[in-house]
Amino acid sequence: MDPAIIVTQLGKRFRRRGGNRPSTLKEAILRGMRGMRDETFWGLRDVSFSIEPGRTVGIVGPNGAGKSTLLRLVGGVGRPDTGRVQTRGRIGALLDLGAGQHPELTGRESIFISGVISGMLRSEVEQRFDEIVDFAELDDFIDSPLRTYSTGMQMRLAFAVAVHIDPQILLVDEVLAVGDIAFQRKCLDRIAQFKTQGCTILLVSHDPGQMRGLCDEVIWLRHGEVVAHGPTDLVMDDYVSAMDTVTRQRTPEHVPIVVLANGQELRIRDNRFGSQEVEISQVRLLNQYNKPVTTLRSGVPLTVELSYRTPQTIVDPLVSVSITKPDGSLCLDINNVSTGVAFPPLTGEGVIQLTFERLDLASGDYFVDVGVYAQEWAYTYDYHWHVYPLVIEGVAQSKGVLVPPLSWHVERSSEPE
Amino acid sequence: MPTIRLVYVRDLLRELVLRDLKLRYKRSVIGILWSLVNPLVQILIFTFLFSRVLPLNIPNYTVFVFSGVLAWTWFQTSLSMASGAIVDNRELVRRPGFPVAVLPVVTVTTSMIHFTLALPVLAFFLIFGGGHIGLVTLFLPLIMLVQFLLTLGLAYLIAAAHVIFRDTQHLITLGLMLMFYLTPVFYRADNVPEQYRLIYALNPMAHLLTAYRAILVQGVWPATGTMALLFVMALILLGIGYAVFQHVSLSFVEEL
Repeated sequence: MDPAIIVTQLGKRFRRRGGNRPSTLKEAILRGMRGMRDETFWGLRDVSFSIEPGRTVGIVGPNGAGKSTLLRLVGGVGRPDTGRVQTRGRIGALLDLGAGQHPELTGRESIFISGVISGMLRSEVEQRFDEIVDFAELDDFIDSPLRTYSTGMQMRLAFAVAVHIDPQILLVDEVLAVGDIAFQRKCLDRIAQFKTQGCTILLVSHDPGQMRGLCDEVIWLRHGEVVAHGPTDLVMDDYVSAMDTVTRQRTPEHVPIVVLANGQELRIRDNRFGSQEVEISQVRLLNQYNKPVTTLRSGVPLTVELSYRTPQTIVDPLVSVSITKPDGSLCLDINNVSTGVAFPPLTGEGVIQLTFERLDLASGDYFVDVGVYAQEWAYTYDYHWHVYPLVIEGVAQSKGVLVPPLSWHVERSSEPE
Repeated sequence: MPTIRLVYVRDLLRELVLRDLKLRYKRSVIGILWSLVNPLVQILIFTFLFSRVLPLNIPNYTVFVFSGVLAWTWFQTSLSMASGAIVDNRELVRRPGFPVAVLPVVTVTTSMIHFTLALPVLAFFLIFGGGHIGLVTLFLPLIMLVQFLLTLGLAYLIAAAHVIFRDTQHLITLGLMLMFYLTPVFYRADNVPEQYRLIYALNPMAHLLTAYRAILVQGVWPATGTMALLFVMALILLGIGYAVFQHVSLSFVEEL
């Protein structure tokens, strides 16, 4: 079968921001034609690939690697400076989700306007209207103006409209990191459904887990050029280890050894990694009475409290907490984005708390590892590994890691004779 | 396939125009009636000034000035809003598959709807203020069509120009003010001294107003030759405007 997307030697040049191009008539006249010449750089350079119909392809790369530019050019937005893009089939896009929406419009009005903007006929929107409202879980609010909606509700509405077009090619740009977990799940299911219907999907995401879960192949971009294009696991392994290398390179050589309250030593490049642009100054494990603990009963609440210090303003920070066994096997690994939470920019000093309402771990020894990462997992600011021990005491002895509340019940069919 | 595309553009146009109208009058008490207030106040002022203070001795002055003000308002709001048609719709322009060329049409159509909404009031004045309603009134849509095409052609040029030079908006405001006084909106072109007539001959809006008034005030068919010429010119301008717009539109994404 013919490929659904063919990209041939695609190149896109951008003007450098703050360039000297005149944007008013006066400047243009004063400078004459001289001013029309710009300083440029290649946002995308010599990118070629083709995608077979029905494949799901992820695009990874650090910020500014050209991922979104590529997605837009495939969608026919903007003009490439070199090369070309050929696509076959109706294109649906999960980018700029809120386009055409306005706080004064009601949910109903927004569905029609967004639906038509997304490429549906009015009659098609009408047909799918109930389905869309259902998907967005907004039945009770559909005639209220959007300004009364929470951000989550607005995103749900936008996403619901976007997934009800019948695309043959679907472009997805980092929109899955929004909304609550249940809704994220629903969106992923919907994307999986598109996949089984034979839709070709091109997807930008920073979540390596999501990439591995969804994609058949991955394209890795750096500085606008393709570094690798191949099977997901292969490319993702390389990508993740390259990102680790970046973190190692950014980790300073000499940072004073810190002796923690629990007697453990934090040594840079040993059990501590990261550029130190954000410093995790203290980590405390608290029980439900806000008392620092190192031992907990299984099934009680735990709060991981992390104090940070930074001389800069850190936008879109990522904070992760994981619990591992001493042998390194992972029991739990979560971060704010994977739980549907975006943090405000971090400045100066502050405290971040993560509370588990109950921790049903099997009794044994564990470590709590914490990390703060740059926007889009580009590299690590500070990561403390295996320095915060946690002992779980349980009543029941079990193998494995999990002991949820349990009870036995026996029912017998009849008394023995 | 082309018919589907056409149906789609029609749907899109309808939704975007409705959105503009809804947004403008949401949460206002008298809503869309506001679109009538502005021209009515203007007409009141002109009627007072030029029949009482400086009498121009134009018969049926209210109807005369009403038709002029309505048509001019349509022209003016379309063009002053055209500069924002692209710049204010950044997120639409950046959507894959969005037909950007529809945006100036939305602008001109929205203003036309305001024009159309005022027509019943105009009809009232025609009946009670000494105008003409008859068979010849049926030609009104034809003149509106010519004005639509003419305005749209200019709107394409302005919308595209404003993306590249953000001064366009101010230039347009200035130009429209100048043009307002050089267009016989509240006076008659006949009163203009001979040596300045050329300016009026070259002003398409002057000819359009003459045509509107022929139908509405005098109840006669407008000069066929002039109208045909105007129609052809409007088509050519629209062709040029559209071509320039499409050419520039490829780089809109970067300029926004």
